Amino acid sequence: MAEALIERLDRTIDVMLGQGDATSALTDAELAPLARLANDLRSCPSAAFKARLRANLERKKTMSIVLEAVKIREGFTTVTPYVQVRDSGFLEFITKAFAAIEIASVPTPHHVHREVRVGNSMLMISERASVGSAPPHGSFHIFVPDVDATFERAIAAGGRSMGEPQNRPYGERAGFVEDPFGNYWFIATSLGPTPVPEGLRTVTPYLHPRDAPSYIDFLTRAFGAVEEFRAEHQGVVMHARVRIGDAAVEMGEAPDRGEKPGFYLYVADVDALYERAVAAGSKSVLAPADQQYGDRLAMVEDLLGVTWAIARPA
Amino acid sequence: MVTIADDYDERTLIEAAQADPARFVDLYDRHFQRVYGYVIRRTGSRAEAEDITSAVFERALTNLRRFEWRGVPFVAWLYRIAANAIADRRKQTERDSPDPPPDMPDDRESEEIERRALIADLIERLPDTQRQVIEMRFAEEKSIREIAAALDRSEGAVKQLQLRALENLRKHMEGRHG
Repeated sequence: MAEALIERLDRTIDVMLGQGDATSALTDAELAPLARLANDLRSCPSAAFKARLRANLERKKTMSIVLEAVKIREGFTTVTPYVQVRDSGFLEFITKAFAAIEIASVPTPHHVHREVRVGNSMLMISERASVGSAPPHGSFHIFVPDVDATFERAIAAGGRSMGEPQNRPYGERAGFVEDPFGNYWFIATSLGPTPVPEGLRTVTPYLHPRDAPSYIDFLTRAFGAVEEFRAEHQGVVMHARVRIGDAAVEMGEAPDRGEKPGFYLYVADVDALYERAVAAGSKSVLAPADQQYGDRLAMVEDLLGVTWAIARPA
Repeated sequence: MVTIADDYDERTLIEAAQADPARFVDLYDRHFQRVYGYVIRRTGSRAEAEDITSAVFERALTNLRRFEWRGVPFVAWLYRIAANAIADRRKQTERDSPDPPPDMPDDRESEEIERRALIADLIERLPDTQRQVIEMRFAEEKSIREIAAALDRSEGAVKQLQLRALENLRKHMEGRHG
């Protein structure tokens, strides 16, 4: 009899998986409880999916600490020296001595805040007449993902508040802390909209492999690439990103027709750049349009035949 | 069903993850089955359920700091994110999107989600070959012949493993309910 149950169960499962009507199994007293269970199993997730999503979340969380959540204004790095001086004499000095270029100057009731480029570095300057003769040991500007959280941590770690976090006129939410050793920290989260998704630069190489998983595997073995995410839909890798050193490479699978590689360019104004690129001699491939997934996207082919996707993320 | 100890545990896990996102996987392990169960009941397709479940946990991780503990179970917050993700998906694919599904599962649905979460839990405790057969047969929708080839067993042996696995699950389910 056990033999027969094996077969009856398997037939029922076949019918269920073929999305057919397996309710007749419910009239078979021996089979019914197993059939009901089998029906539940159809809705159970695959262990491979569960493990893959877990691994993705683990990767994401490390990135969010290191890279992703921090919006850093263009030209800056995470930490920037912030010099406290009495007047503009310091700016004049570094302009003459080091060919400094002033990028921004924001007068406020209490001081003048300046942002200056020296070579490939940025420097911030605060000019106020009341700066004493004994300035702090050092002062730094730092971009963080969440200024309020970092501010609280800095206070808890023994810092003294010099100004609670609030939105500042230079496009940052910032709070100020003096550390226990007399250094000043200007802690900030950029408020300005950045069209470039976190973790990327303005231009990202974009490839269209026929078989993305094998290609990612190859990049991993050949160049030490680290997979950052992979979005699949019905077995096709729609969008994946790997990181090689400090650069990101993205791809979308083109199983049937292997497309040419190109560049993905993130900008604030897709339409303006598209027109400019076409006016400069590019061929239009796709006029600017809002995509289902939220980005606004246009595509052009440049003089070398390279495709540029011009996008503004949702 | 939720006890004060569960409540306390959950709150501790959430606060740990808010302070250190590396701990988010603990919340994921705890709630994955329920979220997936909620989503697949509303989508029906495995591919879509996987896409949406991924989106739910990614959004939850991104927005975890905004979650405030007010005694409402964390899973309710996840269900709300899932309901929104499903509604977003419908808007993308259907012009006249129907009303969004209700946020919270009713008692009957909760019971079903819990039962399936329990089954998923029990599958992980099956003997290896039985677990593999169940995984391949139901999650990967492979035929008995394909599974037999993959495991290097006869088709009869695979059917036998399938039956044993289901009988095992049934026995354990009855044990839980009894």
